[in-house]
Amino acid sequence: MIRVERVTKDFGSTVALRDVDLEVGAGEVVVLLGLSGSGKSTLLRHLNGLELATSGRVTVLGEELARLRPGELRGLRGRVAMIFQQFELVPSLTVLENVLTGALARLRGPRIGLFMYPKALRLAGLGHLDRVGLLEKAYERADQLSGGQQQRVAIARALMQDPEILLADEPVASLDPESSDQVMALIREIAAADGLTVVCSLHQVDLALGWGDRIVGLRHGEVVLDTPTEGLSKTQVMEIYGRVTVSTTELTAIEQELGVAEPAAARAVAIAIDALQHGDEAP
Amino acid sequence: MTAVGATGAGILERAPRRRLAPHRIVGSIIMLGLAVFSVWSLLDVDFSWARITRGLNTAAGLIAKSDPISFPSIGDLAYLIGLTLGIVVLGTLLAAVISIPIAYGAARNTTPAKWVMWICRGLGVLSRAFPDYVIAVATAMMFVVNSTLPGVLAFGIHSIGMISKLYADAIEQIDEGPVVAIRAAGGSKAQQFWSGVFPQVLPSWIATTLHRADINLRASVIFAWAGIGGLGLRLKNDLQDFPESLGAAIGDGIVIILLCIAFEIVSSTIRRNLLGIRPRGGGTGTTIVRLVTRGRPAPPRSTSPAAFHPASPEEALRRPWTAQRVRNLVWILVALVVVAGSFWTAEVFVYGVNWGQFWPTMASFFPLSTGGHPIGDYFEALLDTLKVAAAATVLAFVLSLVFGSLAARNVAPNGWVRNAFRVLITIIRGFPEIVVALLLIMVTGLGNQAGTVALAFGGIGLLGKLIADSFEEVPNGPETALSAAGATRPQRYFSATLPQGMQSLIGNTMYLLDTNFRASSVLGVVGGAGVGVILFSAAGLQSTHGQITTLVLMIAGTVLLIEALSQYLRWAFK
Repeated sequence: MIRVERVTKDFGSTVALRDVDLEVGAGEVVVLLGLSGSGKSTLLRHLNGLELATSGRVTVLGEELARLRPGELRGLRGRVAMIFQQFELVPSLTVLENVLTGALARLRGPRIGLFMYPKALRLAGLGHLDRVGLLEKAYERADQLSGGQQQRVAIARALMQDPEILLADEPVASLDPESSDQVMALIREIAAADGLTVVCSLHQVDLALGWGDRIVGLRHGEVVLDTPTEGLSKTQVMEIYGRVTVSTTELTAIEQELGVAEPAAARAVAIAIDALQHGDEAP
Repeated sequence: MTAVGATGAGILERAPRRRLAPHRIVGSIIMLGLAVFSVWSLLDVDFSWARITRGLNTAAGLIAKSDPISFPSIGDLAYLIGLTLGIVVLGTLLAAVISIPIAYGAARNTTPAKWVMWICRGLGVLSRAFPDYVIAVATAMMFVVNSTLPGVLAFGIHSIGMISKLYADAIEQIDEGPVVAIRAAGGSKAQQFWSGVFPQVLPSWIATTLHRADINLRASVIFAWAGIGGLGLRLKNDLQDFPESLGAAIGDGIVIILLCIAFEIVSSTIRRNLLGIRPRGGGTGTTIVRLVTRGRPAPPRSTSPAAFHPASPEEALRRPWTAQRVRNLVWILVALVVVAGSFWTAEVFVYGVNWGQFWPTMASFFPLSTGGHPIGDYFEALLDTLKVAAAATVLAFVLSLVFGSLAARNVAPNGWVRNAFRVLITIIRGFPEIVVALLLIMVTGLGNQAGTVALAFGGIGLLGKLIADSFEEVPNGPETALSAAGATRPQRYFSATLPQGMQSLIGNTMYLLDTNFRASSVLGVVGGAGVGVILFSAAGLQSTHGQITTLVLMIAGTVLLIEALSQYLRWAFK
């Protein structure tokens, strides 16, 4: 389904991705794990051509993205849905119209107002809203909904595309714990029912472990971890993750200050501190 | 380092030399030049006692012979108001529609390419450079007098500058996220715009359009001198049957002033209540709405949705009739009725349109000519026009600085003074400067003197308000610091308020100069001096159209020059 080969991306002087290789098979649920700035979002945005690689090759659903013409790229994007950390609904439009924008790739020309969408599509949109449990909100303005509800509307918009691949960029980073659980469960449930391939970026190890089939860890734009989650424990992730991420000066500092002599334990502590510092950044 | 401190010898040698950036020096020279020119222009206007008394005597004589103030009959009134409003609505709407693609191209985040952006911005600036009256005269000759189409076209072209600029600003302020989401879902450029950008900018676009309609209504009077019907033409006709009809002319003037205020009240209320946007603009009606609603936030959108519990998606296809939906529908219908009604009342295509004359007239504007006069005469006329504008600007500047400062909360000694000056400025603003100028010039028989006074009077309404607003917006930390250090009120004003408000003061004054120049280039048609006189006399015959082109290009060039100077000064004194 997705093949990323030796992809490097630089924005001017900063390198966002360095020599990344990744292969995702049909129906796989993959979590991209890493702290903010590690390149998760950039990698995701390469998978639907929102960004093009500086070097290397990205192949999605058998198409090499860099070679597609604009019209073909739009067609491909129609088959690859994406949900975002900030939901990204149009605030002044109704919930249903937001959902229907997911069908634009299949329609020719612009649509202004609900009445410009064919009835069959409107019905399908309402069906997707029903599926995420928000049918009653169909005709309210999107900005009247809570964060968790807005993200569910965004999922319905993704479903409207009848996608084969679902990309999720920190889908719960802006939500409270309860809504987070709901949204993560909903994505998992829909992925299983519709046989979707999912690539989801997260920064919390806890969430990632119980949820995905496979974890890909990123740090400073490089893949530092790629392993199935089955039978994996948190300390193991921390450890594998930590072996690459923690510098020797950090280790010595922790060893000295906390009196932790054992290197693996010191790494785990460093990672935990790191995660605490960065994990709380989400607005 | 020795601890000699500030009193120590050699402090002057050690202190860094004051270094002025070159653009500050150039900017100061430009400002000094403008100030000297303006003061010279003001002194050059013959305000001698003899002239003034002569003017006042003329006016007294006219008023004595005139009938008492009278108003048009109800039927005439309805017809004239419909005609005037129709032209304003259609013209503004035309500009709004043309502005959409221009704003799309001019906004940094939607433009397809850098060169498109510069072309679109250039088109906006260019459209502003041609005064609406000039466009009306030029197009009136192509479509034959007696059609209102030239008025619609003049607003439609001239308003593009401001509308497309504000539309583009609105596009640049949107949240990009939803647009990216639509792009990620495979939406085309057009779909991204109409589904992602347009719904976000719509309220601000409507507000801008309504605001521009306010401005255009004030300007519409002058179209009478291009032969376009409406309240302005009625005023013009009454002014010609002097002296008996002076009372009727004053009545017409009152109707126009009240109509402008009423229109502003409606448009500001819509902007505030429906769109939740604080109305811009300093018109009397807008200020009234702001005063009446002061302190109260715009009513919130209905957040309590009606009960809607569809059992199935099929059942949900039928959208419930919530209060919100009914209200939106009613407003859409009202808007449609107003636009359709404008086509009817403005009589755009009813009579007088002669398309056959379009190309011949178009061709008659070229090549440029000066009608046998040396080009120096034209530049002299241009200078006369500029002098009236500059004299009015410097007069308005001095008075506005006093009035505007005292109308600012952080400068006025107390609330009473502040409110008194706010009200004074608002009342002055209620008189469209062009109406004041017309009446004053016709009644006193004085040209430049009356024009200068009228433009300066209107300038106080405009600049005074802008100064008061910008002074109230300066960060008041420095003012507090100076007060804490024991500074007096005037010291605080000169050391904290004025320096912080300097940039907008310069910008707003240049804006007034620009406005006054456009206005004074038009005043010639009613008996002022300068380019307007030649413009109006050349409008008659096809053989003289080349002269109009010459004048129009000179006017547009001057407007662009003023705008360039204004941009430079704003940048230099950032």
